[in-house]
Amino acid sequence: MKKWALALIAATMVMSLAACGSNNKDSSAANSGEKATEGTSDNGKGSSAEPVKLRIYAQYSDEDTKGPYDYAVAELKKEMPNVELDLDIQAQDDGQKLKTYAATGNLPDIFQVGLDLINTFKKSNNILQLDSYVEQLGFKDKVLPSAMNTLVTDDGHTYAFQYAGNEVAMLFYNKEIFEKNNVKVPTTYDEMMAAVKTFNANGITPMALFAKEKWPTVALFDMFASRSDAAGITKLDKGEAKASDPAFKQAAEEIVKLVKAGMLPKGATNLNYDQAAALFHEGKAAMFLNGQWEIAASTEALGEKLGFMYVPAPDAATYENAKLTFSGGGGPGGYAVNPSSKNVELAAKVAAFMAEKYAEFKFTQKGTPMVALKVDKPIINKFPPVMEQLAADIPSMKTTSFSWGLSNPKFKAAIEDASQSLMTGTYSADDFISDISSAIPSK
Amino acid sequence: MRKYLGNKTAILLFILPALLLYTVVVFYPVVQVFYRSFFDWDGLSEASFIYFDNYIRLFHDHIFYTSLYNSAVFAVIIAIVQITIGTMLAFAVAEVAMRGRKFVRITVFIPVVLSITVVCQLWLAMYNGEYGLINKLFEMLGLHYRQDWLSNKNTAIFALAAVNAWQYMGYHFALLLAGVKSIPESYMEAARIDGASKMKAHLSITMPLLGETYKFCLILAFTGGLNAFANMYIMTSGGPGTTTYTLTYMMFRSAFRVGEFGYGSASAAFLVIECLVVTLIINKLIARDPIVY
Repeated sequence: MKKWALALIAATMVMSLAACGSNNKDSSAANSGEKATEGTSDNGKGSSAEPVKLRIYAQYSDEDTKGPYDYAVAELKKEMPNVELDLDIQAQDDGQKLKTYAATGNLPDIFQVGLDLINTFKKSNNILQLDSYVEQLGFKDKVLPSAMNTLVTDDGHTYAFQYAGNEVAMLFYNKEIFEKNNVKVPTTYDEMMAAVKTFNANGITPMALFAKEKWPTVALFDMFASRSDAAGITKLDKGEAKASDPAFKQAAEEIVKLVKAGMLPKGATNLNYDQAAALFHEGKAAMFLNGQWEIAASTEALGEKLGFMYVPAPDAATYENAKLTFSGGGGPGGYAVNPSSKNVELAAKVAAFMAEKYAEFKFTQKGTPMVALKVDKPIINKFPPVMEQLAADIPSMKTTSFSWGLSNPKFKAAIEDASQSLMTGTYSADDFISDISSAIPSK
Repeated sequence: MRKYLGNKTAILLFILPALLLYTVVVFYPVVQVFYRSFFDWDGLSEASFIYFDNYIRLFHDHIFYTSLYNSAVFAVIIAIVQITIGTMLAFAVAEVAMRGRKFVRITVFIPVVLSITVVCQLWLAMYNGEYGLINKLFEMLGLHYRQDWLSNKNTAIFALAAVNAWQYMGYHFALLLAGVKSIPESYMEAARIDGASKMKAHLSITMPLLGETYKFCLILAFTGGLNAFANMYIMTSGGPGTTTYTLTYMMFRSAFRVGEFGYGSASAAFLVIECLVVTLIINKLIARDPIVY
């Protein structure tokens, strides 16, 4: 028996050794593949006519992200036929894959970043400062005046070519449900409470919220907070305000009251987008919070019944004052360049070109005016009516910076957790204040 | 056998691959975790040595205490449920007279081989506050006990523990069943001749003889519970808020969401020590030499 056991162990060892061997072979093959790519890049250096392969790290997972990428690549083929892009699909992982690439010296030539990654990469010298390219390529002239805030970071430099404009979070509503239930579109917190009570009494979910993702909960808090303080949570992010300041305290208190009154469906903190959107699209929920990109899907589902409301405020006067303050906005972000790329100059040019084409595609074909760059091409797909209405507000719109533009990751994580807790109704405004206070930088 | 053991080169050759693998995949990262926990480090930039600051901050962080509490609750629940039900099922299945033994053995073990993602999705649907099976069952029984199982800060961690307990119960059952079957039949026969009831015989003979197996099961359940991550990650994302955080989740948040690898390492280091202490305590409590029949 023991002999058998020994023989078995020996066999296992041999197998594992063999397995290790084959792994090595695989990895060496992968390495040589990489070398081959690098070799190609080397050849392309210096001459624009020679083929150059650039590695790009971009979103490419659904229609929304595949569309602009494919369009930009097709345009690039016309403009710079010698450039070939090797796509590395961006993972939805809070930038982990990219950070790992950076840590192992394997960053792609061009990559998509948000403000938090810009800040991290700036410190470790993993992102190219693009000021000279902005100048050289005349990129600044292409940026819309309303989106200038997305071009430079706090230190006054540009690190990414932006294409998305100041995207905003909105409160959508179903006009038919409001009319049928004789509910006035709320402008004050009291009216909002009355609406919540009426809808609940009639078996309708007042507001669908996909609070499993934490950002919509931050958006709701930011919407309420920005009624009294136009900068919203940006001030907390930068340490310019305290969580206990009246604007934030009142926002938290109002949300707790509304949630306790049944504003959200049961188990809201476990609803994902599909579940929450289904409630709204099927006419089971009266209101829905999402970014302006929701307009297309909701218009398709509800047609003329879709409307958007300005955020209710403590009183009518504040409502009027603050109604064009939208939660959302943007920060610097977009296509960045690896400073150690073998083709830095070309990568910067291609990054700027990609950003431009992304904006063009979104504006002309996706029916969204929320882009960072000027587009002079004709619109192919008309804006939906709600988007037309929103577009009319854009010139006088003010935006907070909000979750996707926050610069302090510690505060971002804390407010995401705390805002989600607010949606349970069992978490008080004081708990909220105390939990986020510890993450706010002191000034 | 002596010939084999006398050949040191052969021993070294056989052990080396496993030892190398263990050193590279387990030992080296653990040492790194302890080392990095003394630094302020974002994973990319140059790290700065900050002595025990990460640990001091850890002991002042309310999320740390929430995580500690949740890990403990999770570990205790899964240990009790898995081992108690596992034992009962093992005793029942070991009974030759029981009908449908094979069926029970297979059905109890099926969840173990299912992917944790599949199991979590299944339970997510069952826990749903609006149309979930569990609330519907309460409704059918005429009880007004509808709960937001995963969105209520008081029930969420228990709901998650129930999922894990259910899924891995079969694993403990299999271990215990193997243990029960390895006990020579003569012991039970002797007990029966002396007039002991089935229950008495199990309590006085089977269970004490299963000491080694229980030790192993307890260590597995406790360290598994303290390390819990997947259930939280898939089902609640640590939420609502931070109410279902465990130390592993806290480490994930610190390192990957906030970018504080040093601080994340500190909570991971604490977790390693915690698991080690728990293992030592269990070993101490159920200390006995292995029985050779």
